[in-house]
Order: sequence, then C-alpha cells, then structure tokens
Amino acid sequence: MIAYAANLATIVAIFGILAATLNFLIGFAGIFSVAHAVFFGLGAYAGAQVALLLVPDALLACLVAAAVAGGLSLALALPALRVRGEYFVAASLGLQMMAATLFAEAKPVTGGIGGLVGIPRPTLLGVEVDVLPAALSALALILVLTARLQRGAFGRSLRAIRDAESAAEALGKNVAAAKTLAVAFACAGAGLAGALFALHLSFVNVESFTMDQSVLVMAMVIIGGTGTLWGPLIGAVILLSLPSGLAFLPFIPATEVGAVQQIIYGLAMTLLMIFRPAGLVGDLAKGRSTA
Amino acid sequence: MSEVLLRCENLARSFGGLQAVAGVSLSLPAGQVTALVGPNGAGKTTTFNLITGNLRADSGAAFIRGRPIMGLRPWQVARLGVARSFQDLRLFTHMTVRENVLAATETSAWFWQPGGAAARRRREERAAAALEATGLAPLAEARAVDLAYAERKFLSMARILAAEAEIWLLDEPASGLDLASRLRFGELLRAATARGVAICLIEHNLDVVVELSDRIAFLDQGKVLAEGAPQAILRDPALAAIYFGDRPQEAA
Repeated sequence: MIAYAANLATIVAIFGILAATLNFLIGFAGIFSVAHAVFFGLGAYAGAQVALLLVPDALLACLVAAAVAGGLSLALALPALRVRGEYFVAASLGLQMMAATLFAEAKPVTGGIGGLVGIPRPTLLGVEVDVLPAALSALALILVLTARLQRGAFGRSLRAIRDAESAAEALGKNVAAAKTLAVAFACAGAGLAGALFALHLSFVNVESFTMDQSVLVMAMVIIGGTGTLWGPLIGAVILLSLPSGLAFLPFIPATEVGAVQQIIYGLAMTLLMIFRPAGLVGDLAKGRSTA
Repeated sequence: MSEVLLRCENLARSFGGLQAVAGVSLSLPAGQVTALVGPNGAGKTTTFNLITGNLRADSGAAFIRGRPIMGLRPWQVARLGVARSFQDLRLFTHMTVRENVLAATETSAWFWQPGGAAARRRREERAAAALEATGLAPLAEARAVDLAYAERKFLSMARILAAEAEIWLLDEPASGLDLASRLRFGELLRAATARGVAICLIEHNLDVVVELSDRIAFLDQGKVLAEGAPQAILRDPALAAIYFGDRPQEAA
C-alpha cells in the first residue's frame, strides 16, 4: 500500500510539474499549446539516454532533459510568434502529431514503438535514490520559480502581451523575446518532468507522449484554474487519483472502472464549465458569460 | 523655435489600390501640441502606425532627434521615447490599474529588470506619480476591465505618463469625455508640454483641438493640405467643406 501511494505521489508530482509549466504558457502568456507532451517526451528520451549511455545520475539526466526540451522549444516558439488563438492551437496540434510520428520512427534515439527499456535506477552522487523526493523537490522548485516569475516584471509583461500585444509592444516590450523565453522556460520544465518520468518507470515509449497526454495535461490546468499557482497541481491530483479512487469502490466492477471514470470526467468537466468556468481555484467572476 | 523631436518626410503607404498616406511630412517640436485633423479615412491613424513601426512605409523617412527610425520594430521605436495611445485603448484588461501602469515602466524582456531594488523603487514611484496625476490612485487595485469609460481613458494616459516618453502620439484621447474630464485631460497635456514633451493628437472634437493644440496639420486623402495655427486652419472655408463632407466637385 505504501509503495502504491508513493508511486501515485511520484506520478502526481511529475504531472504537477507538467501542468504548472503548461499553465505558465496558457494562463500567463496566452499561448494555448496542445503540444506539451512533445517536450515531456523529448525530456524523457534525453534523460533515458543519459542514464543508459552515460550515468543514471538524476541531476545530470534532469539538466540534460531540460536543456534539450528548452533548446528545441523554438519549434513551438516560432509559430507562437507568428499566429495567435485558434491558429496557434492548430499549429501546435500539427507539431504534436509530427513529433509523435518522429518518436515512433526514430528508433536509434527513441527505441521506436517498443521504446527504451531497462533504464537503470537513478543515483545522486553515486548513491541510488528514489524518484519521489527528486520529483517533489523539482515540483517545489518549479512552483517557486513560477510564482516568482508570475508576480514579477516578467509575469506582468507576459500578461500584458496576452491582454493587448500591440499595446505592450508600443510600451517598449520585445514581444518576440518575452514569448520565446516563456516557451523555453515551460518546455524546459516539461523536459525535466520527462526525465523524472523515464527514471521512475525505467521504461518509456511513444504512448506516453501522444495527443491524449497533451489533452490530459491541459484538462488538469483548466480544471484546477488557469493563471493560478495551485490550480494546475490540484487538477493533477484530481485527474490522477480519480482512477485509483474508483478502483477501491467495491460496488464498481473492476472491468467497468474505465467506463465509470469517463462518465465522471465528462460530467465533472461540464458542471465545472457551467458553475466555475475559471477552474476550481480560479477567480469565480472570470470566464462567466455576461450576456 | 523649439527643438524638433520627431520629423517625418514624405511618408507614403498604400493598401492595394488605396493610397492611405501619400507623402506626409510633419515635424513635432518639443513643448508643443500638434493636432492631426481631417475627415475619416484621411490617413491620420495610418500616419501614426507608420511612425511607430506598426506598418512599414512604402517610401519616406522618419527621424527622432535626427536618428532614422524607419524599419525599426514598434518596441524599438518606443524605447527611443515614443509613446502612443489607441482609439480602442488596448488596456491590459485583466490586470489591475497599478499593474497596467507599472508594466509601462518595465521594458526589459529578460526574466528580470536591470538595476536591482533601487531601480524597482524608482519604477514604482513613477507608476504611483502617474496614477496620482491621472486621479486613478484610489482605483489602483481595481481591474482595468472594471473601470468606467473615462477612467479607462485616463489609464491609457497614465501608462504614457509612466513610460516617461518625450513624444506622445494620442489617437482620439478625448473622445467620449465629459467636460470635467476634458479639463483634467487638458491639464495633463499642458503639464507635459511644459516639461518639453512633443505631442501629436488625432481629434475629431474641434473644441478640444482649439483648446489644446498649438498648431494643426490638416490631412485629406493621405496628404497634408494645410498646416498652421488652429484658428487660421479651422476658419478656412475650403478645409471646412472637406472636413464636413461638403467636398467641392472636381471639374470633369
């Protein structure tokens, strides 16, 4: 039971990082990316390769993963600089689909459909460690960084750009640089989560980095509350613990848990959008129709 | 003669077959208010967009203190000391009034602003002074989206004040303001020109133009038809006919 809880906590912490970094893009920069799983995947493959080819050092794997995902985030930043709103959603959707195919085909790097197996257990300074404390520390770091950026001048610039890009530019803000930095930060965070994910499972394949995963992370952000600090984490806790919670209910047959879960998800999303459109911890007045 | 802070020479821009701006030359001297007057579609806002880099000019040039600015991005022009307002205001609607103004003082795109705590205090002081000058200090923590129309107009002005720009391009800044607000707005402009700010305003309310401007540039069909003192321009019957839509028919 303790191992089960520890596993769930690790996964929640990893997805909490993913949701918090996606929230930084959606809630502060107004960049509605549906390709966050791509950078999660890039980080996972990079971290796994570090562990497989060099040393399974958790810190090194996380740093390399963040650097790879942050560096390749230009693939997302370029469309973000040119198009907004639904056009950017379509562009990021294209990126997600293309990346999933590349992950499946680039066998020498990703292991193809079969993925990378036998990733060694992580170490820190040569001592074998659990992923849970590393994941919790990384989550805390990401939340602190996000909060600092959000409350400071950079967060203000991003929100100004989100609300009125041309006015922000007319006040001297280099919109392209600010957006590129925001995307790089968020994608580096997703890469870090990916490395932890790979080290935790000892196995990664393309199934974890598809469109479904991007949508799941976006649902965590929306359910918790976009533009809030704790909302995405709460969204991650709810969406990841619900299946586990249902499995413990004796009156639901094990074979029906999946179907019940889908019904609950659908109903909860509908009710949430009606009664709390800004999410569970979002501003109640925000998002309400004024018509 | 005051120093000319911004100068445009023969700015031109067309959209397809429409020549929106057809060789506009304009000088904005320090400490003076220049009004751009003309009927709808005369090219006034397009001229602003060409100066600020929001639109690329087909030809012509513009200079700030003699430095060419054509080809620069809007944020680069802004950092050279040009601030502008928009007809539709473009406030940062989901930010507070204070944040709107503070954002105007923070230009670095990096994760942090240069200068440390002392510079931050200075920016906060600039924002507080701008809120005080525009009468928005009591509403500092209100969200921009919740403000009344006149307050939104003044918030737009507060951002420009806080930016400490020396050239202001104001697009219909007084439209929709009641008399008391207009008087307050006039005081803001007079205080700015006393500090040496060069102001160019687009305004359809001719009472405001007469009240506030030192000279007028009359635009029609993308060209400056006349330039001079407000009373002289507004008394010209030919210009009045164009402005009020009673354009003389051209000989066939």
